[in-house]
Amino acid sequence: MAKQLLSFTVNGERIETLVQPYLTLLDALREDLGLTGPKEGCGTGDCGACSVHLDGQLVASCLVLAMQARGRSVTTIEGLARGGVLIPVQEAFVRHGVPQCGFCIPGVLMSAAALLAENSKPTEDDIRYAIAGNLCRCTGYTKMIEAIAEVAGTGAASATGAASAKG
Amino acid sequence: MATVMKTTRDVKGVGLSIPRPDGPEKVTGKVQYVADIQPKGLLHAKLLRSPHAHARIKRIDTSRAKALAGVRAVLTAADMPYLKKKAPTRAHAVLAIDRVVFAGQPVAAVAADEAAIAEEALDLIEVEYEVLVAAVDPLESMKPGAPPVAEAGTEADTSEAQAHGSVAGVAAVAKPAKAVNISQQAKLARGDVAKGLAESDVVIEKTYRIPMVHQGYLEPHAVLAQWDTIGQLTLWASTQGSFNTRSEVADVLEIAENRIKVIPVECGGGFGGKIRALCEPVTAELARVTGRPVRYVMTRREELQAGMPAPQVIIKLKTGVKRDGTLMALDGEIVIESGAFSGAVLAVGAVFLASLYKWPAFEVRGFEVLTHKPSIAAYRAPVAPHTIYAIDSHMDQIADAIGQDPVAFRLGRVQREGDAMANNQPWASNAAYEVLERLAQHPSWKKRDEWKKSAPAGKLRGTGLSLGGWLGGLQPTGATVRLNPDGSLSVLTGQVDIAGTNIALAQIAATAYGIDVDKVKITTGDTDVAPMTGLSAGSKTVYTVGAAVLQAAEDARSQTLEIAAKELEAAVQDLEIEDGKVVVRGVPDKGVTLASIGKKGNLYMSKVPPVLGVANPAFTQQAPAFAGQLARIEVDPDTGEVTLHEFVVVQDVGKAINPLACEGQMQGGAVQSLGIALTEGLMYDDKGRLMNPSLLDYRKLTAADLPNIECIIVEKPSPAGPFGARGVGEPPIVPAPAAIANAIEDATGLRLTELPMTPERIALGIANT
Repeated sequence: MAKQLLSFTVNGERIETLVQPYLTLLDALREDLGLTGPKEGCGTGDCGACSVHLDGQLVASCLVLAMQARGRSVTTIEGLARGGVLIPVQEAFVRHGVPQCGFCIPGVLMSAAALLAENSKPTEDDIRYAIAGNLCRCTGYTKMIEAIAEVAGTGAASATGAASAKG
Repeated sequence: MATVMKTTRDVKGVGLSIPRPDGPEKVTGKVQYVADIQPKGLLHAKLLRSPHAHARIKRIDTSRAKALAGVRAVLTAADMPYLKKKAPTRAHAVLAIDRVVFAGQPVAAVAADEAAIAEEALDLIEVEYEVLVAAVDPLESMKPGAPPVAEAGTEADTSEAQAHGSVAGVAAVAKPAKAVNISQQAKLARGDVAKGLAESDVVIEKTYRIPMVHQGYLEPHAVLAQWDTIGQLTLWASTQGSFNTRSEVADVLEIAENRIKVIPVECGGGFGGKIRALCEPVTAELARVTGRPVRYVMTRREELQAGMPAPQVIIKLKTGVKRDGTLMALDGEIVIESGAFSGAVLAVGAVFLASLYKWPAFEVRGFEVLTHKPSIAAYRAPVAPHTIYAIDSHMDQIADAIGQDPVAFRLGRVQREGDAMANNQPWASNAAYEVLERLAQHPSWKKRDEWKKSAPAGKLRGTGLSLGGWLGGLQPTGATVRLNPDGSLSVLTGQVDIAGTNIALAQIAATAYGIDVDKVKITTGDTDVAPMTGLSAGSKTVYTVGAAVLQAAEDARSQTLEIAAKELEAAVQDLEIEDGKVVVRGVPDKGVTLASIGKKGNLYMSKVPPVLGVANPAFTQQAPAFAGQLARIEVDPDTGEVTLHEFVVVQDVGKAINPLACEGQMQGGAVQSLGIALTEGLMYDDKGRLMNPSLLDYRKLTAADLPNIECIIVEKPSPAGPFGARGVGEPPIVPAPAAIANAIEDATGLRLTELPMTPERIALGIANT
């Protein structure tokens, strides 16, 4: 099959690349552009590890063809922290000790960032549903919820991890 | 909840909730896993897998696949003459020789320029099968006359049991001559069970059934293999133990261990499923024949169909007690379905069933049974959730039958330190009693009647708890601690950090040496450079690798003090390390900096040796660790839906080296336990084919299914662990199935003895009672 020209914006940068028409957006990002932050955990849209923003909307990049992103804007986990400065929800994840194996974390953070962009004061249920498409097998989700709620200012007064991390 | 331990030297180390140092890399997507590594000239591998659970391979034709442009190699067993028909493990069964023994077993392997080309090549390989009758149900498979799974004469594989949490004193039993699929058999007995049951007032008999479940690590198995020009192999592997991987690959490929370098890449979860080698040998062989780096990454479908799940376990349990609650006798039979290859931790299950409570007479018979399904591996406290599901479901039913409080009933009968376990070994120091006692003080347990009465119209509410644990694994291990020329420390081990153990090791080194943790760097070395290090498994990383790091740091400290003693003309016992300096106690002005000692260790013509602390301990003393869990639930009796309102984990960690990391383990383990209880199970049809090979049909719990998990840390120091620490990872996966079953019965009166406890089972159960 002949490769096709894909021109789109990735993390604020204009990109032109030749891709196979059957390539998924996830594979194009990972294999062709070297953006390996989005992960393939299932390839069927069930685990959320490949989540990215497409024109600001949360999508499973394993279910989007690369050519569907033509002329559009993609943000990956690599594009969240601009200039090396962590955004608040990334910083809260570190401080609350959220990442363990870390494989799900890029996807969870893309879901969390999409939620916070849309709803600055989410309830605990809002947060739970916002990351319900992201499977995590290490954390039991509790510290994720606490970290996101803290950033939104809707969390409990002091999450155990956050309070003692400063000690 | 987190406590800050003040050491005598006021060091920032053990006891602090310090986030792991790789956090920033992980939240920015910069951490590299195997599938993220792209060397020049990389080839992609794919495996052709059998669609049949049991079949004879009559013919394989790879000619069309080999002719496809972009294909660099196509392998079958015929290309690997060293493969043996009596393969003792899955790793040895690289490609099927003339018979496939489970659906999903690799039959041929392809390496190509692109993954899509490799996949296309799979379609061009022609395999002619003669389909044979498959042994699918373990209870049928263990009978004489069942279709045989292993080649006659294949040895049982007990290495998993030894690595994970060995249990001494369990007698192996010879199997009946014609039961070809019973691969291991053991029996534990004491006293007169028949008499005990005959003299009992209340006898309860139930059969508990737990299906195969997949560990569900989010990163599928992945490996990258490359050979150099002089025949040495490098493997970048997602593994829980690089030295174990090296040994297995060397054994399968019949090459010397020191010609293989395993680089343990960041592991995206393992939970027991990445202990044993799986796809490393075939990937290495593809790399050898092509002379190119080859990467193989399993798909999720392949993981579910042909990973190494936890076994199906069927436990038949019969107990007898007196009306006053005196335990009389226990009779148990445990059948562990191991799939197509042996490797279950049979003894652990048998020991746990009869060792937790004080049964004066018992007999437990254990069977490992082979079937035509993927062979199993460990999953966090292997077989313990299954065993505890049976015994702690039973304990609740007994207490109910004789009208006793379920906690008081357990507390009066739980075994304590020194009591004889079922294998006649004495229980080591543990906090089973204290954990259960602490759980019973929780307001949600005390107010369980109020909770039950508070149910809204049309709903039912209940509370349940359970106690479970793990005996603790042991494995020899090594570590070195070096003092650098700027006064910082470098710690080297080969342990794979999948749970936050590196920060705990740094904290241990900091406190043992007398330096702040931010001056300590931990490195996980590859198998060429790191001291031999055990698996990250069996709840033993902090307990054993931590002990090695502790001893190596103490060694480095005493070397440092000896060097300083000469310079300061003082006795070693009068010296202290404070604020980066060695000082004479009580004379803070008289001192020498760690940096100057470190510098002299790397100075031209210097007579001061470089400080190099070394430790390589082996271990004999296990540290059992217990967790209790409490669930507050609501059940919709019409739909069978269970809503979890509260979930509490009380766990003895011995000493919380890093309370934040302990909580992470407790919460994650609890949710895995809840998944086994409520939603998970690999489902097979009568031909042995998996019916739910996707994460849509195989349901893992999400954030929307759960409440926040409350953690209560109990610290009863272990006698031999570093700073009294015990293993933390495994105990929290054990209790939830029994706790949820007990809560469902409290709410609905329905006793469920088969997992997962799905809405369908609950609604049907309620409708039929």
